[in-house]
Amino acid sequence: MISLRNVCKRYRTQAGYRVVLDNVNLDFPVGKSVGILGLNGTGKSTLIRIIGDAEPPDSGSVHCDQRVSWPLGYSGGFQGKLTALENSRFVARIYGESPRYVEEFTREFSELGEYFDEPLKSYSAGMQGRFAFSVSLACNFEYYLVDEALETGDARYREKFRMAFEERRANASVILVSHNEQTIRRNCDMAAILHEGSLVLYEDLKEALLEYNILQNQPR
Amino acid sequence: MSTLSSEIADDSITVPKLLGAVATQTRVINALILRETKTRYGNYKIGFLWALIEPLVGVTVFVMIFANLRNDSPSGMPLVAFMLVGFCCYGLFRDPWGSLQGSISNSRHLLTFPQVTTFDIILARAILEVLVCFFVLGFLLYMAYLAGFEVRCENPLGVLVACCLLAILGTGAGFLFASLEPLIPSVKQITQVLNRPLYFGSGLFYTADTIPEAARDYLLYNPLLHIMELLRSEFFYEFETSHGSWTYATLWSFSTLAVGLLTHQAFHKRAIIKK
Repeated sequence: MISLRNVCKRYRTQAGYRVVLDNVNLDFPVGKSVGILGLNGTGKSTLIRIIGDAEPPDSGSVHCDQRVSWPLGYSGGFQGKLTALENSRFVARIYGESPRYVEEFTREFSELGEYFDEPLKSYSAGMQGRFAFSVSLACNFEYYLVDEALETGDARYREKFRMAFEERRANASVILVSHNEQTIRRNCDMAAILHEGSLVLYEDLKEALLEYNILQNQPR
Repeated sequence: MSTLSSEIADDSITVPKLLGAVATQTRVINALILRETKTRYGNYKIGFLWALIEPLVGVTVFVMIFANLRNDSPSGMPLVAFMLVGFCCYGLFRDPWGSLQGSISNSRHLLTFPQVTTFDIILARAILEVLVCFFVLGFLLYMAYLAGFEVRCENPLGVLVACCLLAILGTGAGFLFASLEPLIPSVKQITQVLNRPLYFGSGLFYTADTIPEAARDYLLYNPLLHIMELLRSEFFYEFETSHGSWTYATLWSFSTLAVGLLTHQAFHKRAIIKK
């Protein structure tokens, strides 16, 4: 289970402090995939980076007793000068997996062909997303943190990922950040809405989407 | 709205957890070193050669100058070995302190992986720099020996200890500047300004005996000159230093390391957030 306790985060901007997370308390239920909805710029990506421990909160804490992936995005922590092969081995090493297994799984699953031995910086955004997902699938996480990137790649490839996640449903969950209702509806069991610093979890996905619709249509 | 569970994952520190953390950190640092090596030397076949060429050029220039000026080096030490020891060992200080500076700003993206910390990134780089310097030192000394120059080491253990002091001093300074650089970008200029006087003031191509006495008193505030004196004293049969102090050198090295680590501890969180 991932639990957030009294998590606060703010950024300094020209106009003063901007509160992104205002004393957030939440438990992500075990075995459920949760979507996080929010308007542009509300801090969804910051939230998922804090959950994944890629960025410290200003105060409060995140507790977790399972294997959580790094926040998956277009490129994340990869080194553009190195090839997909070298990057996948690096990930395997820091997560204590077998470099050879991770490399082979990624080569096969990402379908990058000869590009697999080319530097990452020569990839298109879609290809980078494909690579990031394939490496993370090779590592067998219990939680996958996904930052919008499910929309990368062509439809056929998106479907392949969805199937792969579906297969892992029994022992892996997804926390998915998106402003796309379709993506959330397809991949998640429930959803939370991040709005003006507070995060509210709805057990019922439909209810969450309804709320989000109201929010979207509010005059700003 | 769901209720909060009162059972939070246990965060207390236990021995197995500590061992696990150490294992993870070792793994991470190892992976970072391999990655850094590939990034730096992998793409260019001559990349590793550069590490050799730089001290080689310095040594060649100064050997030629000295050989023409007067036919011996201070205290009758063999000239080529004298210069090699000076220039290669100086790298043990200069390379970590020079290249660690940008490590937080340049590798911020690596922090996407939660088990990678700024400490790991800086330490991995330091280890790589020091290993390369040791390799260069050993390789060039061996080459000089094969080429027929006199290379005899009096006390290898003492040389190693002095080398470690240089590496510790460089790594400590590296930690200090790496932690400050994201917050105060102008520290880069400070190191550039300091580089030149340190290069000429650390006894790379002379011994403390040969400096005029008035200047020597000031130059001996420089811990690098002390270590260089001690290093040569341990390496060469012909030379015993009357100026280098182990106490002074050790105090400087470990204090610098302590200041560097404390600064890192104090600022690393702010350094990450600062974009």
